[in-house]
Amino acid sequence: MSATYSAEVCTTVSALDLVTGFPFPFPQETYRYSTNVEPAPGAVTTPAGQWGEAVVDVDSEYAQELAERAAILDRDPSRHAWLPHMDVACWDAMLCLMRELSLTRPDSMALTVLESGVRPRYHWRNDLLGIDHTFVLGDPSTLPDEPLAWIAAQVQEDIVLLDQRDGVLYGDAGVVTFAADWSFGFDVGMSFLEIHGPVPRLHGEGIITRAHEFLKRLQPGETYRRTNWTLTIGRRLDVSTELYPEWGPDRDAVLLLDDEAFGRDVHLRVEVQHLIRLPESGAVMFLIRTYLLPLVDLVQVEHWRVRTADVLEELPQDLADYKGVAKYRHRTAAWLRARGPAEGS
Amino acid sequence: MTSPVTASAPHPPHYTSVPDWTREPVVQPADPLGRVHTVIEVVGEDPAATAPVVAGWVAGLDGRDVRHRACPDTAAAVAALEADLVTAKVGHRVLVAGSADACLAVRAAGVRGGLADDEMAFGVVSVETRTVWCVHCSAATVAKLALDDVVACSGCERGLLVYPHVSRRTGRHLGFMVDAEEA
Amino acid sequence: MSRLSLVVAGIDDTVPDVRRLVLAPADGGELPSYTPGSHLVLDVPSGPGRERALANAYSLVGESLHPSSYEIAVLRCDPRGGAAGGSAWVHALRTGDPVTATTPRSSFAPVQPATRHLLVAAGIGITPLVSHLRFHARWGREAELLYLHREGRGAFITEIDDLTDGSASCFHDRVSLLARLRERLLDQPIGTHLYTCGPTGFMDLVVAEAQAAGWPSSRVHLEHFGLDDLDPGEPFDVTVGEQCFEIASGVSLLEAMEKQGYAVPNLCRQGVCGECRLELGPATTGVWHRDLYLSDDDKAAGDCAMACVSRALPAADGRAHLEVLL
Repeated sequence: MSATYSAEVCTTVSALDLVTGFPFPFPQETYRYSTNVEPAPGAVTTPAGQWGEAVVDVDSEYAQELAERAAILDRDPSRHAWLPHMDVACWDAMLCLMRELSLTRPDSMALTVLESGVRPRYHWRNDLLGIDHTFVLGDPSTLPDEPLAWIAAQVQEDIVLLDQRDGVLYGDAGVVTFAADWSFGFDVGMSFLEIHGPVPRLHGEGIITRAHEFLKRLQPGETYRRTNWTLTIGRRLDVSTELYPEWGPDRDAVLLLDDEAFGRDVHLRVEVQHLIRLPESGAVMFLIRTYLLPLVDLVQVEHWRVRTADVLEELPQDLADYKGVAKYRHRTAAWLRARGPAEGS
Repeated sequence: MTSPVTASAPHPPHYTSVPDWTREPVVQPADPLGRVHTVIEVVGEDPAATAPVVAGWVAGLDGRDVRHRACPDTAAAVAALEADLVTAKVGHRVLVAGSADACLAVRAAGVRGGLADDEMAFGVVSVETRTVWCVHCSAATVAKLALDDVVACSGCERGLLVYPHVSRRTGRHLGFMVDAEEA
Repeated sequence: MSRLSLVVAGIDDTVPDVRRLVLAPADGGELPSYTPGSHLVLDVPSGPGRERALANAYSLVGESLHPSSYEIAVLRCDPRGGAAGGSAWVHALRTGDPVTATTPRSSFAPVQPATRHLLVAAGIGITPLVSHLRFHARWGREAELLYLHREGRGAFITEIDDLTDGSASCFHDRVSLLARLRERLLDQPIGTHLYTCGPTGFMDLVVAEAQAAGWPSSRVHLEHFGLDDLDPGEPFDVTVGEQCFEIASGVSLLEAMEKQGYAVPNLCRQGVCGECRLELGPATTGVWHRDLYLSDDDKAAGDCAMACVSRALPAADGRAHLEVLL
């Protein structure tokens, strides 16, 4: 790793790969919503390392996050939903994710087409989970679970599948356990535009309609990505609206913490979202991968420390409200400012 | 878009999940291209309100195959629609007259039954009542409510904010705890 | 857009005037899977009878998942009858010839929530619907095909028989197809969607029949092969930056800009692919869009046009002008 940053110099709360692979989301000193899509995959170099080389990322949290997803689904099955016409898209998504996994981890995962034709037969191996399985496309009896549920138990990404009909994309299936303040179970079946209806500023600026037009024209084999971000208190992946009564009080409580605890508790939360047109169903697969980095680790990289403080200070109030960071963004910025380079690494 | 746009009250974006006709009563026109029309009248508390809406549609569809279903409540209306859809052929249209709350519920049944947006039209006579779905406990609460009001959940008793977000599949508004951040 | 290097791996001329081509990757291996109803855009080089290179779209008719080759079927069209020459080029290809093409593009996919699919094809318009039938057979979807073709000239008859268990109805004249269609349109369960492909005039008739039977537009889907017989249009002026020039009747904006030395990205040159979209400035008097690419909202905004088919509409004073922003 050609980083100005290494384990010998600093100690971090997070595992080292969560810092070196962190997708820092602020290319500019200020943040506004934009249709910030770019072709994927493609590596992005950061002062700490790089990210973006793979569409589906497998990191040191793999086992932990999959266990967490399983526990969430067990408690609340509404996080996995599909409308009946999404059967083909679910198979399609599973195949696509298996392919991506085998590109990311060729040493331990492989999808092999044993027989092609009308009813292709495949072999799937995932050594990280001890899976070695043969199945036939479209035949549910050859899988241990529904295709979308089975593959969602093997990737850290949340998955939403959008069906396109009559010039509109509808979020008709998915497994979303790590939602940042939205309810997949409520939104399933809504159009892409309706899902984004409540987001401020997207309205007047045509951003969401442009994104919708872009997605509608995405062709099979094309993959794009964008990032989104917020702040999260605690290493809490599931900040869904369902659990708001559990995590909502933290937004006041965090202000009572001393500086040391504040820096460990407040995380910059980044979503890397991939958009992929699936070939067989024509559905668009929307992958949402969530990364969390505590402030104490963020400040190990000087550029990240300064840039994050800049963005938080300047963020317009309506965006701060919508992102749920209004109460503690100024304390966060001040905390970052106070850790000047002299004090840091 | 049928409702007027005024400078003081900006028109909501056309992609909100909240239909215009749940903000103020609007009667959409019947589609004269349809071959068979099911007119569902959810009579509810105010039969005097729905009757003229139905009469207007029926007069405009003179000569076509129109099936009028007068239903005492939303559940009966949903059942009537579902029964019609079993044998319906393409060319069928569904018209629903009633409160916005009833129209949302019947629309949801139509969506679940495979109807497209251009096969349904609504004649809304009142917009006071809304059904709120609690995202925390899944209970539904029905009350006279405006968007952004707060209502006590009939299931978990939390104070729910009536969010301007409506499900196509259920016709219910999203409700979440309004004061969750006050520890 | 990625391009594929292919070679002609098989030719089948069994059906008169319809050539089936098998195109394999030049370097072996697997080709990308594609959505049923997709087409391939082939690069047709300039040559005898073709003043300029063409990019022609052809529907894919073979297996769409993990294909080792792509298959298309091309009707012979005589350049002396006004055809641009792509078909003649395909009909002159020989096994082993190299061909370059775009990766498959989808614009006519089966509708997933449809509970049933009614397919209506005329002539070579059967091609995108063959891949629909393969999809429906794979996934057990209900489908019904009405197919108009000249006697003895039906393409894909054997495959269609296999894919539909012999339930497809073939017709040799428009009148009997339309009579049957009229009947069938009245008897489709509410979840059905209608798909048609064929000459524009034929599709217009199918759409008119569907409308008469009360079908809403959301259930009716057309595959355009492009616009035939475009009106040559009136002359108009264009400004590009400082430069101003006139576009004559019968000359496209794209052609005129190319002649002036502008490199405008383009592909199909017939208003379908979207590559040659131009942004327009406020001095524009009006746009006669004519393309099949831009959305109704885009067209209403009036700030963009497709260079290959769009022209200026005159203002009240009769002046017709486009301001192109590069």
